[in-house]
Amino acid sequence: MESQWLKLRVNGKERQLFVRPNALLLNVLRDELGLMGAKYGCGLGECAACTVLVNGRNMLACLILAVTMEGAEITTVEGMGDYDRLHPLQQSFLDNGAVQCGFCTPGMLLTAQALLEKNPDPSEEEIRDYLRGNLCRCTGYAAIVQAVKEVKHPA
Amino acid sequence: MEFQVIGKILQRKDGVAKVCGQETYASDVVVPHMLYGVTLRSPYPHAQVLRVDTSAAEAMGAVCVTPDAPCIPNLIYNERTVSIPEKTYCDRRVLPLRARHVGEAIVGVAAETEELAFKAMQAVKVEYKVLPAVLDLDEAMAEGAQALYDNIYLGDQKLTVKNNVACERIITVGDPEAAFAGADYIAEQEYELPRVYHHQMETKTAVCRPDPNGGITVWATTQTIHNIRILLGRIYGLPLSKVNVKKLAIGGSFGSSIQMNSIIPICVALALKAKRPVKMASSREDDLHSHTKFPARIKLKIGVKKDGRVVAADMLAQVDIGAHQINAFPLLGCMAGWYASLYKWGDFRFEGRTIYTNKVPACAMQGYGNPQVNFAVESLMDLIATECGFDPIEFRLKNYVGIGDEFWGQGPSVKSIIKSCGVEEMLQKGAELIGWADRRPHEEKTGRYRRGIGVARGFHTSGTGGPKPGEVVDYSSATVKINEDGTVDVMTPVMDLGGGTGEAAVKVAAEVLNVPYDRVDLSLVDTKTTGYDVCTHATRGVYCGCGAVYHVARQVKQKLFEYAGRILEELPRDLELEYDAKKDVTIVYVRGFKQKNITIDEVARLAQIYSWGTIAATDSLRQKNCPPCFVAHFLEVEVDTWTGVVRVPRAVLLSDTGTPINPDMVAGQLIGSLSRGLGYALYEETEHDRETGRLKCNGFITDDKIPTTCEMPRLDDIQVYFAHTYEPTGPFGAKGIGEAALNSVASALNNSLYNAIGIRFYRIPITPERVLAALEGSGRDGN
Amino acid sequence: MATDTRVLAAEFQYLEAHSTGEVLTWLAEYGTRAKILAGGTDLLVRMKTGQMKPEYVIYIKKVAGLDYIQADEAGLRIGAATSLMDVEGHAAVKTGYSALYEAIRSMAATAIRNMGTIAGNLVNASPAADTAPPLLVYDAVLQLELQDGVRWVPVDEFFLGPGKTCLAPEELLTEISIPPQDPGNGSSFLKLGRVAIDIAKINVAVSLQRSGRDCTSCRIAFGSVAPRPIRIQEAEAVLTGKRMSNELVEAAAQAGAAAIKPISDNRSTREYRLKVSRVILGEALRAAWQRAGGVL
Repeated sequence: MESQWLKLRVNGKERQLFVRPNALLLNVLRDELGLMGAKYGCGLGECAACTVLVNGRNMLACLILAVTMEGAEITTVEGMGDYDRLHPLQQSFLDNGAVQCGFCTPGMLLTAQALLEKNPDPSEEEIRDYLRGNLCRCTGYAAIVQAVKEVKHPA
Repeated sequence: MEFQVIGKILQRKDGVAKVCGQETYASDVVVPHMLYGVTLRSPYPHAQVLRVDTSAAEAMGAVCVTPDAPCIPNLIYNERTVSIPEKTYCDRRVLPLRARHVGEAIVGVAAETEELAFKAMQAVKVEYKVLPAVLDLDEAMAEGAQALYDNIYLGDQKLTVKNNVACERIITVGDPEAAFAGADYIAEQEYELPRVYHHQMETKTAVCRPDPNGGITVWATTQTIHNIRILLGRIYGLPLSKVNVKKLAIGGSFGSSIQMNSIIPICVALALKAKRPVKMASSREDDLHSHTKFPARIKLKIGVKKDGRVVAADMLAQVDIGAHQINAFPLLGCMAGWYASLYKWGDFRFEGRTIYTNKVPACAMQGYGNPQVNFAVESLMDLIATECGFDPIEFRLKNYVGIGDEFWGQGPSVKSIIKSCGVEEMLQKGAELIGWADRRPHEEKTGRYRRGIGVARGFHTSGTGGPKPGEVVDYSSATVKINEDGTVDVMTPVMDLGGGTGEAAVKVAAEVLNVPYDRVDLSLVDTKTTGYDVCTHATRGVYCGCGAVYHVARQVKQKLFEYAGRILEELPRDLELEYDAKKDVTIVYVRGFKQKNITIDEVARLAQIYSWGTIAATDSLRQKNCPPCFVAHFLEVEVDTWTGVVRVPRAVLLSDTGTPINPDMVAGQLIGSLSRGLGYALYEETEHDRETGRLKCNGFITDDKIPTTCEMPRLDDIQVYFAHTYEPTGPFGAKGIGEAALNSVASALNNSLYNAIGIRFYRIPITPERVLAALEGSGRDGN
Repeated sequence: MATDTRVLAAEFQYLEAHSTGEVLTWLAEYGTRAKILAGGTDLLVRMKTGQMKPEYVIYIKKVAGLDYIQADEAGLRIGAATSLMDVEGHAAVKTGYSALYEAIRSMAATAIRNMGTIAGNLVNASPAADTAPPLLVYDAVLQLELQDGVRWVPVDEFFLGPGKTCLAPEELLTEISIPPQDPGNGSSFLKLGRVAIDIAKINVAVSLQRSGRDCTSCRIAFGSVAPRPIRIQEAEAVLTGKRMSNELVEAAAQAGAAAIKPISDNRSTREYRLKVSRVILGEALRAAWQRAGGVL
C-alpha cells in the first residue's frame, strides 16, 4: 500500500500531501494540516461531528479516504471565519447561546452553512430536518435551531 | 436586585474559540515527538489473565505495558477520590490481572502512529482462563454465585465480598412500621431504570509527557484536574510538585469524567516506559465500554392519610454497578438523600445495595441516582393522587420539603437547612402555563392519537458542603488579580463542562470589582498554578466554585481600597467602588464625596510604579451549605396508540436556581436536560447480552440512539421559567442548576402518559414496543 | 477493542477508475478480492468494523458517465454513482416517484445522503435498505455490467438474503432504471425507526394504479421483515381490480401483516413489527391512493 501525492484545496489554499490510501480525510486534516475543528465522534457516520464541506456539500470526513479528494475544495470550520471576521452563522451561534461544550459546534455550523446555501430562508422544520444527523448532547438543539433561523445576512 | 453583569446575557468567554474550531480539547492536544497509544480489551466478561505475550508487537516497534509488568504498580485504588479515604471502596489496578467485563483494558500499546499501535495491539497474544460470568443482578446475589472479588478495600481496611454485594446502606428515621400501620392508604410499586451511556460527544483522551525533571505533564478529559494529579502521584509514587495536569475544554461529560478515566494511568505507564509523550484517544467503542449510568431497581412504599399527608415511606434500592466500584457507596447515601428530601415522609426507611456484575462499570451520570429515585417517587406520588382523588399539584404542595426544612444534600452525612425555595411558585406558574385547569382525565380520551399532561418536580443539591465536613471533600480555590492596566485575571481550577461555569466565574469577579465583563478574563491554568478544587460535579460549579471566586474577589477589593486609600489619603473603609458607564471607567471614591475619586486603572498603574505589589489574592472556600436547586416539569405527550410512538408536543421547564447568573445558559441546561431526559424516558438502554456479556450495540452508537433535532418540541412549544428566589449563602444569590434540570423529566413524562392513555409505566425506556404491549395488555399496567 | 473506528487500519490497493471499462477490467481480474467504493458510507463502515477486508478498493466516483439522472417518457434512469441527495433533489423524483423521494428523505444524515448512492444502498443488501421497497414497487430494473456483457435484473430478483445479491464478483451495477409511472399512479413510503436518524425497524412502499374508484393494480413491498426486502403479493391481490374502500385497505393491511415473518433484533421485536406492519401499510395505501387522485 503505497503513499501517493494528493492535491486539493483546503479553506481556499492549495495543499499537496503525501498520503496512504487508507488515510481518512479527518485524520489528514487534523494530523497533517493541524486543522482541529473537525472532530472524531463515532467514526461510523452516526454523529456528524467530523462534518466538512466538500465542494460545498456537507460530508463526513471520518468516512472519506483522503486519496479520493484529489482536486476537491474542502472547507473546515476554520475556513468559515475568524475571530475578527466571524461568519454570520458563527455570530448567530454565539448570540443565541447555541454553544455549550462546543464539540458538535463545528459540524453543526458547516451543516447549517450547507443548508443555507441551498435554502437561504429555511423554516424551523427544514432546519431540524437538515441538522437531524448532527448529534448534540448538551443543548437539546433549541438554541442551535434558533441560531440558524435567526442568522443575519446568510452567506 | 440590580446587578451590573450578573444575570445579563453576555457572550461566552470561550465562544469565539469554539465557533472557530480553535478551542483545545484533550483530543486536540499534540506534543512534539509523541507516540499514539491504544488498549487491548478483554473479549470475555470474566477471565483470569494467565499470560501476555507482547513480543510480536514489540517486534513491530511498539511499547507495551501488561498487567504483570513491573512498571504497573500493585496498588488497589478507586478512580474517584471525591470521598474521604475511609469512605472509599477500592477494587482496581491500573491493569487488571483478571478481566471483569467485556472491554476492560488489559494491555496498553503505543507506537509511532495510531494505526501501527492498533496493528501491534492485534499482534499481542493474551492467554485467558475464562471464568463463569455474572450478568444478572439476582443471580449475582444468589448463594453460590460466581464471585467477582474475594477481597476489596475500604480505605486501608481489607473487606470480604459476600454474594457480590459491593456495599450497602440502611437508614431508618423514626418508626416507619408503626407509621404505615397508621396510614389510611398505602401504595407500593417496583421501578426499573436502565443502564444508559453518557454519550458525551468527545471520547475520553489522555496525553502524558514525561518531563526532564522526572515528573509528568498530563492533558486529559476530566472534570477534576486536582484529583487526577493527586491520584497519579499516589499510583506512580511521584511528588505532586512533579505532576502537572492541565485544564482544558471538555467535549461534554455528564458525569463520565468525575473519576480519573481508566485510560489515564495506562497512558502514563506507557509514557514513562517509552520515555516519550503518549497520546491515547478512545475510540467510541472503547468509550462505550468504559462507563455507564447507574441502573436501579427501586421498590417503593408510601403511606398517606386521608387528608393528603404522607406519613411513612420505605425504599429498597438495588443497583447493578458492573465490574468496579466508582462511586457506589456515596451513591447509596445520595439516593437516600434525594428520597428523604423530596417529601416530608415522617417516618421512613431506606435500604440500598449495590451489586457487582460482569458488566461495564456504572458511574455518576447527571443526577447521580436522583433521576432514578425521582422516577419512583414522583410516579408513585402521582399514582397515589389518582387513587386517593387528590389534585397532583395540591398533593405535592402539601408535602414537599421546603424553606426551613432539613435537606440531605449528600445523604445522611451532609445536611443543611433550606433558605430559598421556589417550589410553590413553580408549581403554580407551571400549571398556568401548561393549562392544568383544562386537563381532562384519560377516560375521556379516544381515537388514535391521545394527548396527556403531567407534572413532576425535583431538585438537586448545589455542591456537597454542610455545616460540618462529612464523607465528601468539598472546597474550591481561586486567584484573582487586577492587572497593571486595571483589567482582571481570574484563575480557577473549576472545569467548565460546557454549562458556562467559566462565564459565571468572570461575572462574579466583574460584579464584585465593578469592572465590565470584557475587562475580565479567565487564565489558562493547571494544577501547579491553582489551589485545589475537588471536582465539577454535584452541581457545585457556580455555588462552590464561583463562591470561591466571590470570596477571593472581595479580598482583592479590600486590597484595592488599601492602595487607593494610600493614594487618596483616605481610610479604606471610607471608600466605595462604582462603574461609571458614561466614562466607561471603574472608580474608587470617597463615600459621600464622589468628586474625590481615582480610577481602578490608575490605582493599579501606581501600585506597580510605586512597587507596592500586585493587587491580587488567592484563597480557598468551603461552602457550609448545600442549597437545593428546585425544578418542575410540566410535559404534554401525544401517544400514537396504533404504533406506540410517543411524541412531546409541549414542555414547560421551571427552575429555581436562585439568581440565574447566566440566564441563557440556565435555559440551555433546562432544554438540554429535556432532551437527555426524553432519551432516558423513551429511547436509551445500553444493555449487555445475557449470554455473551457483550454490549448489545458492540460499542457502536449505530445501536445506541439518542434524541436528534426531530425528537424535541418546537421552539415555540418549549417555555422556560425562573422562580424568583435568592439564595443568601450563594454568590449574588445563586444556586446550581446542572443536574437538577434533568431529575424530573422522565417522571413527568410517565405521569403525562397516564393522563393520555391511562397506563402507568414502571420501567424505562418506554419504547413504542412497550407502549403497544401495555395498550394491548391489561390496559392498566405498563410493566 | 477488536476495532478502532478512529482509523482505517486496513491494507489494500487503491484503484481510481476513470471509465466503466477500467472498473470492469479490474473486477474481472480481482473478483471477490475487490470492492467498489463510491460514497463510502457502507464500505468504510464495514471495513472499520472488520466485516470486509478487500485487497483492492476501486473508486468509481471519478468515472465519467456514472453520475446522472435521466427522466423522460422512458422512465427514470439513475447512474450508479449518483448521490442520494441528487436523486432526492431531482424534480422528477419529487413529483413522479413519491415513494423513492420519501425513502431517501428518511435516510440517515444529510451528509450521508451527499456521499452515499442508491446503488450502494442496494448492493449492501441490508434487509432494511430504505431504497429497496420503492424500487421493488416501481418494478425497477438494475443494469449489471460485465467486461464482455450486460444483463438486466429486476430488483425483485436482485436480493438473495442479508448482504447477499445476485451480483457476481466481476459485475458492476451501473444503472437503476424505473419504468415510467402512468397517470393515475400514486406511491408512498413509510418507515418507523427508533429516532429520526435510524435504520428502519420496518419500512414499506406502495405503488398503485387508480381508475375511477377502482384500484387496477397495486404493488406492496416491506423492508426489515424478512431476510431481504420483499414484495407482498398476498396483500396486493386483495386490492387489485377492486373498488377502493377503507375496509379494503384494512383487509390488505391485514393480509400484509399475515404474510411477513420478522425477527427480533437490536432495533425492535418480532411482535412489534407484526403489529405495526398493518398500521404503516394501511397508511401507505391511503397516502398512495390520495396521490393517485383517489378519495376514501
